[in-house]
Amino acid sequence: MRAITPALIGVASLALLASGCASDGGTNNNGGETGGATEISIRGCTPENKLIASNTNEVCGGNVLQAVTSKLVYYNPDNSAPELDIAESIESPDAQNFTVKLKQGYKFHDGTEVKAKNFVDAWNWAAYGTNTQLASSFFEPIEGYDKLQCGVDKESGEADCTKNKPEAETMSGLKVVDDYTFTIKTTTPTSNLEVRLGYTAFAPQPDSFFADTSQGKTEFGTLPVGAGPYKIVSNTATEMVLEKFADYSGAHAGSVDKVTFRIYNDMNTAYNDVVANNLDLTDQVPADQLVNDQWKNDLVNEDGTPRYGTKETGVIQVMTFSPIDDQLKSIDMRDALSMALDREQITKQIFNGARTPATGWVSPVVDGYKAGACTACVFDPTKAKELYEKAGGYKGTLTIAVNGDGGHKEWAEAVCNQWKNNLGVTCAVEATPNFQTLRKGINNRELKGLYRGGWQMDYPSIENFLTPIYSTGASSNDGDFSDKKFDQLLKDAAAETDLNKANELYQEAERILGEKMPSIPQWYQSSQYGYSSKIAEVKMTPFSTFDLSSIKLK
Amino acid sequence: MTDLTDMNKESESQARIADAMTAPSLGIEEPQPTIPADALEDPAPQPVPDLQTVSEERSLMQDAWITMRSRPLFWISAALIFVFLLMAAFPQLFVFSGRTPDWSDLDKARMGPDSVAIFGYDLQGQDIYVRTIYGARASILVGVCTALGAAVIGVVLGTLGGFIGRFLDTLLSRTADVFFAIPLLLGGILIMYTFRTTAESPYFVVVFKVVMALSVLGWPNVYRLMRSSVMQVKPSEYVMAAKALGANPLRIIGSHIIPNAIAPVIVVSTIDLGSYIATEATLSYLGIGLQAPAISWGIAISDASAIGYVRNAPHMLLFPSLFLSLTVLAFIMMGEVVRDAMDPKLR
Repeated sequence: MRAITPALIGVASLALLASGCASDGGTNNNGGETGGATEISIRGCTPENKLIASNTNEVCGGNVLQAVTSKLVYYNPDNSAPELDIAESIESPDAQNFTVKLKQGYKFHDGTEVKAKNFVDAWNWAAYGTNTQLASSFFEPIEGYDKLQCGVDKESGEADCTKNKPEAETMSGLKVVDDYTFTIKTTTPTSNLEVRLGYTAFAPQPDSFFADTSQGKTEFGTLPVGAGPYKIVSNTATEMVLEKFADYSGAHAGSVDKVTFRIYNDMNTAYNDVVANNLDLTDQVPADQLVNDQWKNDLVNEDGTPRYGTKETGVIQVMTFSPIDDQLKSIDMRDALSMALDREQITKQIFNGARTPATGWVSPVVDGYKAGACTACVFDPTKAKELYEKAGGYKGTLTIAVNGDGGHKEWAEAVCNQWKNNLGVTCAVEATPNFQTLRKGINNRELKGLYRGGWQMDYPSIENFLTPIYSTGASSNDGDFSDKKFDQLLKDAAAETDLNKANELYQEAERILGEKMPSIPQWYQSSQYGYSSKIAEVKMTPFSTFDLSSIKLK
Repeated sequence: MTDLTDMNKESESQARIADAMTAPSLGIEEPQPTIPADALEDPAPQPVPDLQTVSEERSLMQDAWITMRSRPLFWISAALIFVFLLMAAFPQLFVFSGRTPDWSDLDKARMGPDSVAIFGYDLQGQDIYVRTIYGARASILVGVCTALGAAVIGVVLGTLGGFIGRFLDTLLSRTADVFFAIPLLLGGILIMYTFRTTAESPYFVVVFKVVMALSVLGWPNVYRLMRSSVMQVKPSEYVMAAKALGANPLRIIGSHIIPNAIAPVIVVSTIDLGSYIATEATLSYLGIGLQAPAISWGIAISDASAIGYVRNAPHMLLFPSLFLSLTVLAFIMMGEVVRDAMDPKLR
């Protein structure tokens, strides 16, 4: 092919266009439109656990379950706005009592119909302590959730399911009214419950799921049955094959007949395969390939059109001030460190545009986002130096703790260099061998200085970026931030039935973070993806997974 | 194996002792000093003149020096080593731009060479030339200290094992076997992972840890050589003579055994020095050897070696690698030359 002159290539692509088939994959997975069946291959990775919706909180399994399951709510891949999927309506007069009506005709892959009890039973099972589901905390707002948890062992101080069985097996807040209606009651007002219901953990489970008696539902988890546009037909160590579900009645049917997730251990290999048109889709582009837009040169069709894309995802990176470091308590010091950061320069030079400078604590992809909450996030080295000297400077070495296994050393060093240059502070990066070690150091409050905090949203709401991280005593409140006014605003917002008014209250709460600076917002993350020449259009969701129903072939 | 009692039996003849006293240790030919006839008849001979052994040892070195200085390879490697040692001790002598290794300008990240930064800029916009010059210290320190450390442990234990023998020898040799079975790199990873350094650790502690890790794994090599060399030297007549004349074991070891058995150790240590530098770079490359803010070629290579960087900014990888290769080459060449000079049998 290399020897063909440019003129000949022109002729060849013209001929292809004329015949209405511009795909030039040239690989075995190019079934082509002649046979009627279309298929594509996607980079996959080995799921951490068996494919059970409530036990999957990582991308490898999440990618597959995204296509296999349907939920009450579907997140629009363009703006991540929640749209009703299986739900006909979700209504609540007081943000605490919800009535959910289901659309009729939705079918599981085994032919049974999706009914109200499939939701209620699945949620009760997922929340039940003894089943130790990773996503069980998603059901926490529902009334009676605490009764389903295992008792705390007095000696170890941890939940122990063998000695202290949960008090109840079902949550009192869930009631089946009829086949297509059920009600949800939350413990406290939760105005954004509807937004949360699109998460995979809230997927309904068919009767065959409850019939599976194997430990941890491993049989079901190998070939899970959902109500999504694709059904899983094989699941091996090297690939997972999905086929279009013929009886799917929803609005988001797939356009490709067969989707194969090929397991790659190394994203570099997958990237190279997409460049060579041996693989159709990869959701990751190695950071070093972003240099000088190398990947954009690699990923172009023969006619010069791009076959890559970038999607802003619901991820924000911050640096949290260690609560045990007394030198970092003053607001002036915190503002100085934040102002001395040239976020623009780092996102351009270190991340090659794969990050966007943050202007607040909430990702722009979510409902309720408002730019500019962080006033100290504007680069101003002169003012930073003034404030830094006013605060008395930092004695000793200021450290930034990051996990060494996640590609964080580069930006942390760049941040250190900027602080050295702009403030004259002695700064060093402390890289832990892996993520677990970093988390351990943070959880035990052993680290001084600042540490990295990344937050990927669970559901696209401004609330998810504030309550779990900055409310007093929250599970991910690594900086021990506590502010009464902030907590009250969050409470008021949760009780507010009007979503717009609720969002305004959340935005007001975010402005308090701007005054108190519990952490330094750094940048919002985006995902880079590449696809082969035979794909015409593909959309990535704000959760970094592909929306299979939006894939269009040439 | 001969022990002291055997030795006493053997040393019945005074004449033999006198002969032995003049025996050249490593085949070096030198006019034998004449022994006065009355010395032979004297039942209590005068103490062995130390001068003789010392002069022989010196002549071994002299002989080696004469062989070496005639070889161009020696001068090339010596010049390289001199430059690198100077670089390690006084890096500022080589930096003319006035930039420190901490200097950075992120806007220049990954840019190619310009008139100031003749090697270009790295990922953080730091001057690669300056960083490469300052990186010599870590590599040379690790190489030299590890070679010395391994040599000291190996020589001490090897001499004890070879000289005392019996149970101690067995114990030491089996211990050495255990350490010998652990591959240098694998063991290094294990030790460095167990004793991790943090960002606040002082520079020399970080370097010292790497040195310790590599020394602990490198000594069996030296131990084995030293032990066999000592066992070879021990039955020599001049050692017997010293014993017969009542020299205490420490003196025998210090003045007779070690000077005559050390040559192979010098050779092997010089060659190993190069490989220790390479291993340090590998450990740093894996992210567990030296760590930033320490500057080392291994770290620089590690940071620059992703394929996308190699395609777009190959200079980031080229210069630290080149310096590393040159240093390792210089020490290994030097080791070869020394070996040829000191141990003609291996030539």
